[in-house]
Amino acid sequence: MAEIFEYKCPCCGGAIGFDSSLQKMKCPYCDTEFEIDVLKEYDEQLKSEVEETISWNKSSETKWQEDEEDNICSYICKSCGGEIVGDHNTVATSCPFCGNPVVISGKISGSLKPDLVIPFKLDKKAAKEALKKHYEGKKLLPKSFKEENRLDEIKGIYVPFWIFDADADVNIRYKASKVRMWSDSNYNYTETSYFAVAREGGIGFNSVPVDGSSKLANDLMESIEPFDISEAVDFKTAYLAGYFADKYDVDSNDSEKIANDRIRQSSQEAFASTIEGYSSLVPEFIGIKLHNNSVKYALYPVWLLNTTWEGKKYTFAMNGQTGKFVGELPMDKKAYRKWLWGLTGAITAGVFALLTLIWLI
Amino acid sequence: MKRKIFSLLFVIVFSFLFIVPVFSSDLDDLSVDTPLLIDSANLLDDFEESDILSQLEEISERQGMDVVIITTNSLEGYSPMEYADDFYDYHGYRDDGILLLISMEARDWWISTSGFGITAFTDAGIEYISEELLNFLSDDMFYFAFDSYASLCDDFITQAKTGEPYDYNNLPKDVFDLVIYFLISLVIGFIVAFIATAVMKHKLKSVYSKTEAHEYIKDGSMNITRSRDIFLYRNIRRTSKPKNTSSSTHTSSSGRSHGGSGGKF
Repeated sequence: MAEIFEYKCPCCGGAIGFDSSLQKMKCPYCDTEFEIDVLKEYDEQLKSEVEETISWNKSSETKWQEDEEDNICSYICKSCGGEIVGDHNTVATSCPFCGNPVVISGKISGSLKPDLVIPFKLDKKAAKEALKKHYEGKKLLPKSFKEENRLDEIKGIYVPFWIFDADADVNIRYKASKVRMWSDSNYNYTETSYFAVAREGGIGFNSVPVDGSSKLANDLMESIEPFDISEAVDFKTAYLAGYFADKYDVDSNDSEKIANDRIRQSSQEAFASTIEGYSSLVPEFIGIKLHNNSVKYALYPVWLLNTTWEGKKYTFAMNGQTGKFVGELPMDKKAYRKWLWGLTGAITAGVFALLTLIWLI
Repeated sequence: MKRKIFSLLFVIVFSFLFIVPVFSSDLDDLSVDTPLLIDSANLLDDFEESDILSQLEEISERQGMDVVIITTNSLEGYSPMEYADDFYDYHGYRDDGILLLISMEARDWWISTSGFGITAFTDAGIEYISEELLNFLSDDMFYFAFDSYASLCDDFITQAKTGEPYDYNNLPKDVFDLVIYFLISLVIGFIVAFIATAVMKHKLKSVYSKTEAHEYIKDGSMNITRSRDIFLYRNIRRTSKPKNTSSSTHTSSSGRSHGGSGGKF
C-alpha cells in the first residue's frame, strides 16, 4: 500500500492533495502546483524545527571575604536610595546619580563580590576633554548651554554588569522570493518564484554585558559599549581606590532577558546574512537554543558627568576604557525653525530656478 | 442627394454674408478666397471676428495649411463629424488643414483634421487642445476660445514640422507648468531641508538602546551545518503594455480621410 502523505500548502496553508491528472501535488484552495519531492523536503524541514527555551547556568557566586569587607565601606544616598561602595581612602560627599549628599552606612554585606573588573584607563581630564568635543559640530545645540555650562559633578564609577557567555544553536527558515520581469510585444510579465530557505548551525557569544544598576539607564550604558573584556582582571579591592563602585540592584535573573534578546537577535541576523540573491525575505521560523551559558559579575569603568541647564538634568557617560562619550543634548527650537525654513527657501529657489531653466530651453 | 442639399444650403446661407466663389476642392490656390472663419451663429462681434480672421489668415499663409473655424446654429441633421468633414471637403480648403466646428444647436464641438493636419494633430494633441478650449467654451467665451485655438494650432503645426508632432508623451509647455514646478520645488525644498535638519537633530542624540550583540560574537564561532534553498512554486502575472497612440482616422462622404474628435461644451 502506498504511503499516505498529508501536507500543508506552503502558499496558503490549506491541506493539499495529489492531482493524478497532473501527476503533481495541487492545492485545492489556491490552485498552486508543487512537485511531490519539494513538499517532502519542505515537510522534513518543518519537522526539524522545534522551539526551545533558554536557561542560564549561574556561575560562581562568590561572597566577600572578611578582610575585604573591612577595607570597603558603603554609602547610601538618602535621596535616591543609591548605594555605592568605596575604600576607606575615598571620601564620597555626594551621590553620583542624583548629586545629593550621602552618608556612610558602614560595612557592606549580603551582596556578591564581583568576579572581574576592567580598571580605569582614562582619567577625569580625558572625560572633560571628551565633553568639550561632544559639543562640537552640533548646530542645533543652544549656545547658552555651551556657555553657561558648568559641571555639577564628574565621578568615576565602577558600574556593575552581568556578563553572559553563550553558544547558540540556530535553526531558521525564511520564505524568500525572486522576481523576474520580461515582456513581449503585447504584454509585460512578472514572475515571482518562492523558496523555503533554511539555515542551521551554531554561533558563540562572549561576554554580552547587561547593566546591573537600576539607577543608571540601560540605554545610556548600552550606548558606551563595547568594553574589551580581554583587559579585565580578577577583582581586588585595590582597584576601588579613588573611584566608587555601584552595587548591583538588578539581579542576574532579571538581566537575563535582555541578554537573551540581544543574542537571539544577533544570531538570527548573522544567519540571515548568509541568505543572498533574493528580493524578499519573510521569517517563518526562528529557533534559537542557547547552551554552555554562564553568567559572571563584573565591574566596568564609567565616567559620569552631570550638568543642569534650565532646570533640567543632563547626564553624560564616558566609557572609562575606550573613551566613547555619549549623552543627550537639548535642542534650540528657534535655531531649528531657522534652519528648517531657511533651507526650505534656499533649496526651493534653487530647484525652481533649475526647472524654469529646463522649461525655457 | 445629401451632398447637394448640403452644398446648396451653404450657398444660400453664406451668399448673404460672404462671397463664396468656388466650391471645387482641386483649386488649392483659391484658399485665400475661402473665408477661414465663418461665424454663422454670430458668436463674435465685428471687431472680434476680424481679429480672429486675420490671425487665422496669417497662420494659414505662413504654415501653408488652412486653419478654419466655423460656427453654426444648426447641423442640418448631420452629425458634428459629418458636418465638419464635409464642410472642409466642399469649401475649397487646401488638402492640409484643421477645422473647428462649433454648433450651438446642441452645444457640440468638433475638430476635423485632414492631410498633414492628421499628422500634426494627434488624438492626444486634439484632447489637449479641446481641454484648453472647453475652459472658455463652457463659459461662452468664444473669442478667447478661438484666439487660443489659433495660437495652439500655430504651435502644433510648427512642432509637427520638426518631425515630432505633439503626442501623449510630449504635450506642449504651459505657463501653468511653472506653478506646478514651483509647487514641486517647494515640496523638494521642504523634504531636503527636513532631512538636513533631522540630521542636525540626530547629532544631538547619542543614547540608544541596543537590541543586538554583534560585538560579542566569538571570532570564527559561526558554522553553518545545513543550508537548504527549496524551490516551492511560482506565479506569473501578465499585464498588457500601454499602447502608443497616434492619430486615428475615418473617411468622410467625399472619400477623403479625416482625423479629429469632438464632444459637448
